[in-house]
Amino acid sequence: MTKSPPSPRRRALLFLVLPTSLWLLFFLVLPYCGLLVQSFLGTNEFGDVVFSPTLDPWKSFFKKSLYTGTLFYTFKIAAIVTFASVAFSVPLAYFIAFKLTRGKQLVYTLVVVPLWVSYIVRAYAWKIILGREGILNTFLQWTGITHAPVEAFLYSQWAIVIGLVHIYTPFVLMPVYTAFENIPRPLIEASKDLGAGRLTTFLRVVLPLALPGVIAGSTFAFVLTLGDFLGPLLLGGTDTMMISNIVQNLFGTSNDRPLGSVVGMVMLAIVLLVLEATARAEKSFASLESGRGRFGGTA
Amino acid sequence: MTRLLNGISWVGLAVVGLAVSACGKTDTKPEATTDQKPATPAKADDSTRFKGQTLNLLTWEGYADPKFTKGFEEKYGVTVKGTYFGSSDELVAKLKSSPGVYDVVSPSSDVAYSLVQGGLIEPIDTSKISSFNDLAKEIRDMDDAKKGDKLYGIPFTWGPDYLIYDANVVKEEPKSWKVFYDPQYKGKVSLWDDISNIYLVGQIMGLDKDKPEALYNMTEEQLAEAKKKLVELKPQVRKYWATAGELNDLFKNKEVVLAVGWPLTVGTLNKEGMNLKGVVPEEGATGWIDRLMIPSSSKNKELATLYLDYVTQPKAQALVMDATGGYCVANSKASEHLAEDYKKSPCVTEAANYFKRLNFWRYAKDRKRYNEVWNEIKSAQ
Repeated sequence: MTKSPPSPRRRALLFLVLPTSLWLLFFLVLPYCGLLVQSFLGTNEFGDVVFSPTLDPWKSFFKKSLYTGTLFYTFKIAAIVTFASVAFSVPLAYFIAFKLTRGKQLVYTLVVVPLWVSYIVRAYAWKIILGREGILNTFLQWTGITHAPVEAFLYSQWAIVIGLVHIYTPFVLMPVYTAFENIPRPLIEASKDLGAGRLTTFLRVVLPLALPGVIAGSTFAFVLTLGDFLGPLLLGGTDTMMISNIVQNLFGTSNDRPLGSVVGMVMLAIVLLVLEATARAEKSFASLESGRGRFGGTA
Repeated sequence: MTRLLNGISWVGLAVVGLAVSACGKTDTKPEATTDQKPATPAKADDSTRFKGQTLNLLTWEGYADPKFTKGFEEKYGVTVKGTYFGSSDELVAKLKSSPGVYDVVSPSSDVAYSLVQGGLIEPIDTSKISSFNDLAKEIRDMDDAKKGDKLYGIPFTWGPDYLIYDANVVKEEPKSWKVFYDPQYKGKVSLWDDISNIYLVGQIMGLDKDKPEALYNMTEEQLAEAKKKLVELKPQVRKYWATAGELNDLFKNKEVVLAVGWPLTVGTLNKEGMNLKGVVPEEGATGWIDRLMIPSSSKNKELATLYLDYVTQPKAQALVMDATGGYCVANSKASEHLAEDYKKSPCVTEAANYFKRLNFWRYAKDRKRYNEVWNEIKSAQ
């Protein structure tokens, strides 16, 4: 059989696709494959990974409540952070997009500015605010609301949530704001013309159209919180370990790389599932103009 | 879903390739290179022989301070370059992943043993260490640095993991670690984020009364008991500290008044006007020894031996104590060269007592399990 030489178009396509594919291969696919292989290997008494295939790391992961329990706890924190970030972002984005006539850009910038400050600096700022002798406690005692410093502020689950919400709110706000901005104003007028009140217009016209933005933002907050380990380290208390702290411990301290790889693979699978689910959800709420999706077309 | 499936088939393809290459890689265990020729004796022209070379140290923070390395650099016309690590386990990982890069490492007594037994370290020719006989015998001759009749490491610095208290708040010197459970200090205690808390509770349980090594070989029942005690302690604990700097902040911000810690914290904060005191309670305390070792992969073993000889001499050791803000040093003759402040340090005045009462870290055979138990304690709600 003779093979015809690739057409120039195909060659050009190959030329375009090859660099990205190689990039993905070396910096994403291969490292993860390394993890996958490693998760089925054992270690010797000095902690070196040895080539003796075993299912033990996977069994340990699913058998021990340390790992599954921590994973569940991490989900809980991620859900709270996501919910709170959305609760802050939606009204704020709505206000900037629809209510502000002047200074829109300024307010938007003010919200996004914290992104330019390092995560660690922001966490330390929260330590200064929430500490036993911190700004908040000093203020509460000065006003006489409390008489002794409140200890629950810092080094607790709530300190982590506050810190992470502060960090991820801009990530949620940006897509939500963009979604609000893209809503055709005549639609809102039409809703009002047809007799809908403000709340009904918001709930049945504005919010559904902004949902892809809300979903995209929530995904950011959720996935990033799932992988966070600095929050618990800097702001958390004695019982706020999250799954990434365990990964760090397995690789950096106990030198148990197979088990660390298992946790890594489980995290990857969860993140992929979340991304896939939210990508579908976004599509089904796709924008009106495209003429597809639940709220588009003729349905 | 197609995206996901595509990804998975990609993964599958690469797994095959990787498994093959991993096979070749992990099968070759590092072999001990003990059959190497011993370094040739130091010659008169040592001062010019090494000119221009670089000695790479992989050490704890502060252990490559110019305050004490400068003299060595000038003597031999070489450069001493330090790379720092933050935990014993990080040292192991770095040393294993880049053989040939480091000439001197400073593992603590908890991982020294596995490095030596794993064949990563070169034996030391003690006849070339001029101060060898002045190094504290109690920590010099411990098992963790030995294999057969050869010595693989010498002590450099050491210290206790003792009980630190804020003497302005805690008026009476605590006699026992049990003070951590005292209701009046609820939420004012800080423990180190490390498996050594398990050793600590082991001491409270009295496990090491007869056999010091019992702390490092606890049975599953003893671990369960220790776990129970540490979970009970959680409401008392404000925060598990991860770095010495974090513990400083906790004391300075009045978050805690009791903690497990190192003399470094007491020294640093008292200079800033605090009134901290450190004590070894009646149950005893654990301690650490940082050793100097030469990796068998080092390309500058002769120069490394000269460095070990240099930094264990009394004058250099006095400078080490100064540079590290008061770590105890291995050479007892160093005290002659110390500033008055440091002469009063318990490392000097109480050294003999410390050696008797400190249970120095050893290799824990099931370190992995200890780590897991510590994580279980931290994740307990």
